[in-house]
Amino acid sequence: MYEVLADLSTPLIMGILLGGLYSVIALGLSLVFGVMRLINVAHGDLVILGSYFAYTVMTTLGIDPILSLVLGMPVLFLIGFVIQKYLMARAFGISMEAPLIIAFGISLVLENFCQIVWTPLSRGLTTSYTLAGFSLGEAYVPLVYLLDFIAALVVMILLREFLGRTYLGRAITAASQDRRASQLMGINTARIYALTFGIAAAISAVAGVFLGLTFPFTPLSGIAFLIIAFGVVILGGLGSIIGTFIGGIILGLAQTLGGYFFGPGAQMIFIYVMVLVILAVRPQGIFSR
Amino acid sequence: MKVTAPRLRGGLIPFLAVTVVLAALPIIGAPRNWLLYIFLFSIYLAMANMWNLLCGYCGLISLCQPAFIGLAGYTLVIFTWNGLPVYLGIIGGAVVAAAFAILISIPIFRLRGIYFAIGTLVVPEVLRVIFLLWRPVGDVIHGKGAGYMIKGLTEVSMTDIYWLALFIGIASIFLMRLILSSKLGLGLAAIRDNDNTAASSGINIFRLKLYSFVIGAIVTAIAGAIFYMSQEYVEPISAFGMRWTMTLILATVIGGVSIEEGPIIGTVIIVMLHFLLARYADISLIIQGVILVTIMILAPQGIMGTLRKTRFYNTLLEAAMGR
Repeated sequence: MYEVLADLSTPLIMGILLGGLYSVIALGLSLVFGVMRLINVAHGDLVILGSYFAYTVMTTLGIDPILSLVLGMPVLFLIGFVIQKYLMARAFGISMEAPLIIAFGISLVLENFCQIVWTPLSRGLTTSYTLAGFSLGEAYVPLVYLLDFIAALVVMILLREFLGRTYLGRAITAASQDRRASQLMGINTARIYALTFGIAAAISAVAGVFLGLTFPFTPLSGIAFLIIAFGVVILGGLGSIIGTFIGGIILGLAQTLGGYFFGPGAQMIFIYVMVLVILAVRPQGIFSR
Repeated sequence: MKVTAPRLRGGLIPFLAVTVVLAALPIIGAPRNWLLYIFLFSIYLAMANMWNLLCGYCGLISLCQPAFIGLAGYTLVIFTWNGLPVYLGIIGGAVVAAAFAILISIPIFRLRGIYFAIGTLVVPEVLRVIFLLWRPVGDVIHGKGAGYMIKGLTEVSMTDIYWLALFIGIASIFLMRLILSSKLGLGLAAIRDNDNTAASSGINIFRLKLYSFVIGAIVTAIAGAIFYMSQEYVEPISAFGMRWTMTLILATVIGGVSIEEGPIIGTVIIVMLHFLLARYADISLIIQGVILVTIMILAPQGIMGTLRKTRFYNTLLEAAMGR
């Protein structure tokens, strides 16, 4: 019994730490979803764009990927802002499916843009600490997994404070709760929406960097991470930061335990099937009110 | 109240004449390029028509059409590798796709709107991973499955495949017309306009949408199987790829969603783009993505939808119908 537990401790710890990464990936999706009721199908590709941006900064300027976020976050913020302001804002008025189809188009543009600029080869953000790790009891934990988890905590606390304490954050919360009422209170919701999309994209830049540190990525990886992010949002419920965190950890555990019991090839199937089952059983999310 | 746009009536004779001419092309020795063009047009048309049925008439944004295409391709492989005839493989693919559509409808039909889209997005991804790992027939290569040649194609000529494609393309147009003028189509129109009213008038929303979904799966699978007969090779990454979904959405959106002739116009443009952009294969998808976004924003009803609003088109239509 003890041996089984000791054996399981590695996937358990790694799953929880990986859950941190997944919750950061999902935060941007959750924010856009929560505020604008839009499922941004291009979210995965924005994350991957963040990874590639860090990759370019790292290989050309020799700056550490985590430090490169100083550049990456503003760049992605701008891209997100422009997407919402000039494309999505119009789409909302057209029809129910227009935003989805436009997001789908943007996703393909981003995906192929990455493919042309960075070739379809698999890349990774390889740094001096990529292979570093430490032992925790019986388990061996790679350092980047711990960094993922710390990053998740930092991003989530910052976002929470931002939404709760600043004027802009409160305006975003207000717009997400009731668009009409917040407009009547003098909030420019169109601008708030564009800013929210920008912030979500900036968080995607963070997610992209830690994703690149943890896994190899290709221009086509976007869909896989979109599905993971969506699973996390569905598990955690809308607009709840804590819920997103818990959802991320559950999916992280599902992946590492699935990989432990059924082999590494099957771990993604495990996540996908889980997303489908959750959708079928409780589409409004497990932790939602 | 939603005013139903005039549906094209009649026109059967010119339609049949065009069909006969297209069918005769390989016999009279038309250039290979033309045949390829019409072949792709027919395949995409069948798939786009089905996507239009789902999106435009049922309100189901299905992103899982590649699942049916890929499954049809792999069914073809499994059949031909077991020595069964290719034609049986096409039927097999349709049956497998229909069964699969019914199976996945259990979870995804509980979802509505945008949730439905995401639910369906997951499906081809699952299949892709499965078919990357699983080798249904033949020897194991390096412990993993991947691409397959389709056997038994020597007995089928390119002309036969061309005719098959033409058949499914034309059949899909007739099928759409049949569906839309049947009870199913009336029910779908009622659901599209107001699903609560439709449900309270005794329309079984779930069943009608399921029927459409399964019909869509069958036709898409047949078209996919015919496509893979011409390719002679199936591999999971492209077979279950988003590129298919992109093509279908683009064809429908360019032509006009929920307009019967929309996909026809859209598919002509898509195939033209396909050949025009063949030289710039790298950026072709970017251009297609940009076109999709632009059309959706500037002319969300597509070419046919915009045309229909112009007086010129309406007078032309009336003149054509002899009114």
